[in-house]
Amino acid sequence: MAKMLIKGNEAIVKGALLAGCEAYFGYPITPASEIAEAASVYFPEVGGTFLQAESEVGAINMVYGAAGAGQRVMTASSSPGISLKQEGVSYIAGSELPAVIVDIMRGGPGLGNIAPEQSDYNQVVKGGGHGNYKTIALAPNSAQEMCDLTMLAFELADKYRNPVYVVADGFIGQMMEPVEFPKPNRNIPEKPWAVKGTAETSDNLISSIELDPDDLEEHNRKMQRKYQEMRESEVRYQAYHCDDAEIILIGFGIVSRVIQSAVDELRAQGVKVGMLRPITLFPFPSDVIRQYTDQVSKFWVMELNNGQMVDDVRLAVENRVPVKFHGRMGGNVVGTDEIIEKVLEEESA
Amino acid sequence: MTETNVADKPKTQFKVKDYKSDTKPIWCPGCGDFGVLASLYQALAKLNLPSHEVAIISGIGCSSRLPGYVATYGFNAVHGRILPIATGVKMASPEITVIGTGGDGDGFSIGMGHVPHAARRNVDMTYIVMDNEIYGLTKGQLSPTAHVGDVTKTSAYGSIERPVEPVDLMINVGASFVARANAGDPKQMADLIVQAIQHKGFAFIDALSPCRTFRGIEQKKFINANTFKVEDHDHDPSDKRKALDIADSQEGISTGLLYVEERPPYDELYKDLRDRATQKPVPEIQDILQRYIP
Ligand SMILES: Cc1ncc(C[n+]2csc(CCOP(=O)(O)OP(=O)(O)O)c2C)c(N)n1
Ligand code: SF4
Ligand SMILES: [Mg+2]
Repeated sequence: MAKMLIKGNEAIVKGALLAGCEAYFGYPITPASEIAEAASVYFPEVGGTFLQAESEVGAINMVYGAAGAGQRVMTASSSPGISLKQEGVSYIAGSELPAVIVDIMRGGPGLGNIAPEQSDYNQVVKGGGHGNYKTIALAPNSAQEMCDLTMLAFELADKYRNPVYVVADGFIGQMMEPVEFPKPNRNIPEKPWAVKGTAETSDNLISSIELDPDDLEEHNRKMQRKYQEMRESEVRYQAYHCDDAEIILIGFGIVSRVIQSAVDELRAQGVKVGMLRPITLFPFPSDVIRQYTDQVSKFWVMELNNGQMVDDVRLAVENRVPVKFHGRMGGNVVGTDEIIEKVLEEESA
Repeated sequence: MTETNVADKPKTQFKVKDYKSDTKPIWCPGCGDFGVLASLYQALAKLNLPSHEVAIISGIGCSSRLPGYVATYGFNAVHGRILPIATGVKMASPEITVIGTGGDGDGFSIGMGHVPHAARRNVDMTYIVMDNEIYGLTKGQLSPTAHVGDVTKTSAYGSIERPVEPVDLMINVGASFVARANAGDPKQMADLIVQAIQHKGFAFIDALSPCRTFRGIEQKKFINANTFKVEDHDHDPSDKRKALDIADSQEGISTGLLYVEERPPYDELYKDLRDRATQKPVPEIQDILQRYIP
């Protein structure tokens, strides 16, 4: 199939349809609204459900319901809306239900602005809501990946019976790029636990309640085992010119695109730099990063926030080499020259 | 304080310009919200309220930009949370005139959970919803007050949802003052805002405020062609059944004061409660700390 020039946000919806997503519940918010708008057009066309909820709280609980009934279901929002959904996400995780949540991050805190930031890293990657839960977080850096990783998100959500985030900065959501659509992948597993309205499943109960302390501890231990399995099997990253790199720059989303250009230019000047891009923010590619500590003199972490992912990098590096941070906020995006300047400044100092 | 006797001093008469902030509205040309803002200036001037005695609380939306344009206290707050925030302000400072201004989505979608509670508590405030039946700020998605069949950016095949009827709703959940006004009729709007502010209790105004950009000129024309004034129909606003009848009139969209009821506002009831509960003399904090409730 020929490539098609579309916005990252629309690629999300196309990816969801290719993955056989059956229902979309959401509430408008910039810069994620195109997802709801496209869903409102396409979902009914393929026999799916589109419903504009009364709020993000409404939307995530509709997702909870449809997920419990066994559907492939999603919602999308942007930062303030994700804050509102967190209670629901915790319940979905506690009930071990599959669901896909898209976060097109904007500037914060508070209403902030509608320009791109990556300041939801902590609230998406670290759980965000209450309780001992984790969500897989996939971080696309192109319209193509918005489609591909959304498809993957549905697969992983079903595989682990766990909510999965697709988390992108507003830039990736709004940017138009050519996308080549993969083949549909609607391998939806059997869901014997779902509330399906059949005689065989009439005893199924969807719940996150465990009143007995031992039962709740056991439930939590089971979930921790699941998260461990994710850490072992689902780490995804991109390494760019890392093999002989003396400095590795780490960034995700739009920042990784800028870093990549900076790496090319620095290499042209003879500076041996490379880029490592986490594609899964949870599970985080900690082992991969740690392996490079024998090879590099330092890491640079660049983010569109006050330094959130850098904490995970520092944990991975275990103080073996310095980890430097450079962040922009408020909707300002790091530029290639800015990155080059930072790196060279350090080297000449 | 100076020694001048306040009573001797000629009372300042505030003018519309005293309520204008330095920020110029950035609404689209033709937006109904301009009319609501102009009427609010008029009403504040008519009531001669010093601007530091007024707080305007908004949510998020085009309409919620309003507090920035008025030289009073303002809150540009959280989407959907005007009413709890206004309740907090009123409880902290009962002497302040509290006005909430927001959109139909802000109030009747994301904020709907708060509506019945502020109304039934009879929080002493004025709540003006600039109802354009669309999400203006986010560029044209479906609103809970949109009509069946309306095509918007998230209702590509026409809305299938029965709209919220703000006036019926407010009467039924216990608002003690319920009015509807056309933003294109600044005199009516200003009069109703004056009455709403003077009313002791929760006063709601459904301000029909067209969105030129996402509803076209047709919306404004429709409102102008189909509204009538309840005063011309000899309406008795203290009669709840008649109020509900005229709210749903087949003759068109009724405007004016539809329903009013005298009922003590929340802050007064709370003051009574506090007077009853406060022990005399007031116990020392140490005594309270040593007590426990089994
Ligand atoms: C939690 C949250 N969700 C969504 C938004 C995005 N948003 C801002 S205003 C708005 C609706 C605007 O419609 P309305 O309240 O009718 O006001 P109008 O712009 O029409 O005056 C939405 C969905 C937000 N700011 N916060
Ligand atoms: S989009 Fe509509 S509601 Fe918003 S300022 Fe423009 S005309 Fe007014
Ligand atoms: Mg509106």
